[in-house]
Amino acid sequence: MAQEFLKRNLQTIVFANSRLYTEVLMTYLQQANPVPPGRLPAVRGYRGGYLPGERREIEHGLREGRIRGVVSTNALELGIDIGSLDATVMAGYAGTIASTWQRAGRAGRRSGSSCAVLVASSAPLDQFIVQHPDYFFGRSPEHAFVQPDNLEILVNHLKCAAFELPIATDETFGSVDVPDLCNRLTEAGFLHRTGEHWHWTQEAYPADAVSLRSVTSDNFVIVNITEEAEVIGEVDFSSALTTVHPKAIYLHQGQQFHVEALNFEERKAYVKRVDVDYYTDAIRYTQVRVLESAASDRIDARGADAQAARSHGDVLVRSQVIGFKKIKFFTNENVGDGKLELPENEMHTTAFWLTLERPLVESLPFSVSDRQSGMFGLLHALESIATLLLMCDGRDLGTAIGERPPSPGSAIEWEEAASPEAIAALAEKEFFEPNLYLYDAYPGGIGFSEPLYRAHHILLAKTRELIAACPCENGCPSCVGPVGERGERAKEAALFILSRLGV
Amino acid sequence: MNRGDKFARIAALRPARRHVTESPAPCISETGTGGDRLAELLGARINRNNYGEHLSLLQWYATPEICSPDARSLSLLLPQSADLPASVNAAIDPRQWLFLDTETTGLAGGTGTYAFMIGIAWWEAGGLQVEQFFMRDLNEEHSVLLELAERIKLRPVLVTFNGKSFDWPLLETRYRMTRSFRDISPKLHLDLLHPARQIWRLRIGSVRLRDLEREVLGRDGRSLDWSRHDDIDSSLIPQMYFDYLRRGTAEPLVGIFRHNQMDLRGLAALAGKILALFDSGHGIANAPSAETHDAIDVLGLSRLMRKRGHSTRARELYETALRFGLPRSVERLAQRELAQLAKREMDYARAISLWDALREVPCRGKHKENGCPLAEDARRALEAAIDAAEQLAIYYEHRAKEPQRALDLIQAAIVELGEAHDSSRLPKDHTSRIQSRLLTRLLRLQRRCGATPLFRRSKARARAVDTTA
Repeated sequence: MAQEFLKRNLQTIVFANSRLYTEVLMTYLQQANPVPPGRLPAVRGYRGGYLPGERREIEHGLREGRIRGVVSTNALELGIDIGSLDATVMAGYAGTIASTWQRAGRAGRRSGSSCAVLVASSAPLDQFIVQHPDYFFGRSPEHAFVQPDNLEILVNHLKCAAFELPIATDETFGSVDVPDLCNRLTEAGFLHRTGEHWHWTQEAYPADAVSLRSVTSDNFVIVNITEEAEVIGEVDFSSALTTVHPKAIYLHQGQQFHVEALNFEERKAYVKRVDVDYYTDAIRYTQVRVLESAASDRIDARGADAQAARSHGDVLVRSQVIGFKKIKFFTNENVGDGKLELPENEMHTTAFWLTLERPLVESLPFSVSDRQSGMFGLLHALESIATLLLMCDGRDLGTAIGERPPSPGSAIEWEEAASPEAIAALAEKEFFEPNLYLYDAYPGGIGFSEPLYRAHHILLAKTRELIAACPCENGCPSCVGPVGERGERAKEAALFILSRLGV
Repeated sequence: MNRGDKFARIAALRPARRHVTESPAPCISETGTGGDRLAELLGARINRNNYGEHLSLLQWYATPEICSPDARSLSLLLPQSADLPASVNAAIDPRQWLFLDTETTGLAGGTGTYAFMIGIAWWEAGGLQVEQFFMRDLNEEHSVLLELAERIKLRPVLVTFNGKSFDWPLLETRYRMTRSFRDISPKLHLDLLHPARQIWRLRIGSVRLRDLEREVLGRDGRSLDWSRHDDIDSSLIPQMYFDYLRRGTAEPLVGIFRHNQMDLRGLAALAGKILALFDSGHGIANAPSAETHDAIDVLGLSRLMRKRGHSTRARELYETALRFGLPRSVERLAQRELAQLAKREMDYARAISLWDALREVPCRGKHKENGCPLAEDARRALEAAIDAAEQLAIYYEHRAKEPQRALDLIQAAIVELGEAHDSSRLPKDHTSRIQSRLLTRLLRLQRRCGATPLFRRSKARARAVDTTA
């Protein structure tokens, strides 16, 4: 689609929903629009990980009209002046109505017509939007979701506040125990109590260390060592393990770099320029453990107990990148894979989960593996509807299924696995009494779990609608996930479970 | 679930990873708190006023001696404004000066940085009286600020080193935070960093006070009465204070007091030196010769004069510096700047003689085969030669109305530039800018001379120009 616009010399912006996808699309478009060697490519890429100098140059080029096409993440959605373009192509639904209008608004000249196109991906939400256009056009943009009591964010705020003005012992700040937090900050060496106030006692200016775009602010720096070492970009901590793991192909402005080494402690990734015909996609394995349940209730199915429960509370999410796939450009074939041994990433956050109790599971008229398929399929669909209800981005939530621990918070052992194969095997394990988790993808939690807990009726009902109304036979990416990954009876099983849950 | 556990996971409670300072082992004295121990070590006393208490240390030194500025020299030091005569009057009595230097908890500025030690000094009884205020804890700040305000009222001419950008704005913020003080500003503020930089950066490279002490103040045949030999590393100062606050470790702070005392004495000595240099600068044109390092100082002085707009004085000093003899790289700089000055005053004869001198770059063709970039000096020489060619061309074209000579010069310059470009003697991005300028002139001159175009605009290669070589 974008190529059609570019062929007609219409200045076009393409929005992609992930950094990887941006780079892949840009590679395709650059190959379709070759320029003489030595000249800058006609289609440029743009995303947060690029260095500021590069980004300014691209913004300038867009304003002046020199750059005819750009593929970007939501980094160019708003706030930056790039002038007005002729066309916007959105590769996939942005996740919120507000973002979609924002992206569409990038196209629009004072004279002449312009055009905005949304190309739906196979993701359930995309399909939903495309099949229910009135949902999109009829609704007003979402409201912002704010969680002021996320402890990570709050403590950073407290540090900056202490710098600005010493904190008095009787001051309040949100709903937390300020003196307690201040004492902890004192123990950690940030504050010092004098009389009735806590003063900032560090050399550095605290706001410098607080990132506006992520909850914690550790960045990885990407160093190109093809010739003399130079920094070419950066990536935030949580994405680092999936995008710049050793042997990954890191894409930057359509240029491919092979990650030679990753220094975790120093937060540096060393890359060399290469020219290959594939890119990599990391395989991540996630485990969730309940730390403390804030609230729990039975699920009622038409007057009777469904032998299931809903809860929300604090969880520990452990994820590990165990390997990666090599995917060929253009054909998307899987041309190989690799194993990785990387540190685990542990994150303390909040989650909402459904517990399917043993009697319910055993009563499902399906084989064990089909029951599993049904559960995974159900969770896949639940996730999409949750993002719709919460009006958040798909990446703000994570999913996992885990065996329900004997009692919440009890010292359950993590399933230690010696090798990636063993870990992968764990993923196939049979669940007797599973918890289906929907967790906030940010440390400290950002307030999604409680609303999901309270709105569980709507959540389940809309999920049923999504799956039932899907025209596929046995499952597809738009409802429970592709048949190849889920199994042939996933859709049927998921619907059955839902009926048991009373919807 | 253990709440301690939950807090232990929060990254925000961990100090930034890059913070690497070795704090000395804690040693809390038996005799009492850290503050008491410090007072004991220093022989300091406790000051009391309406706003509380703090530690204060008074010391008197015989040197540096009081200086006696004259109005002319002083006017070079003060900020240029319509009020200059009034300022000179206010500052003429050095007993009205208050030297100031603070030690702070960091360089971030803003409201979270504290000046935990404020050192002031003034001339009294033939020597320098130094008074240092110290906050034993952060709530002693108010009383310290009161003392400082009173000292400033008595001696309203503040003299600092980098105080205009750092120390004073910080103190103003601290005053504002107390919500109790108004109108504490000094009548005048002399920041010696700027004149020091203009005069001495050429010779010394840095303008840190301790470097100036070593290279400028200590070189007169008289050595300073204090030594930086085991002075503390000032970047460790904030951490030393934090350790003292948290654990009462008092010993390292003695070093901070000493450091601050030396800074204040150095500041006073520097003031004297700068004024002496200005004074001597007035008569220097008649001096027969001087050691090289003095010549560079004279050059520094001339540049300062030029920046202040005293062109005639500046020209005199440039000439003197050149006459005294300067190292090659610095000489070139002097020649370039003097040529510009002369040109502005329409003294073309002098300007031309200087530009001609710059055109004499030794061994230009010799390094043609050598592809490696040349030493920094040779590069600068080449740049200066090309620039001089351009300046001469401008003169011949617009003033002397001899476009042919101008054209010859530009063509020569383009050839030189091309050679430099090829042998990578000058960096590429640099040469392209010069190149486009030269080409513009070239085309215009060619039109005026009616010459046949020898170059296409897009090429810088001088293949056909053997005639000018």
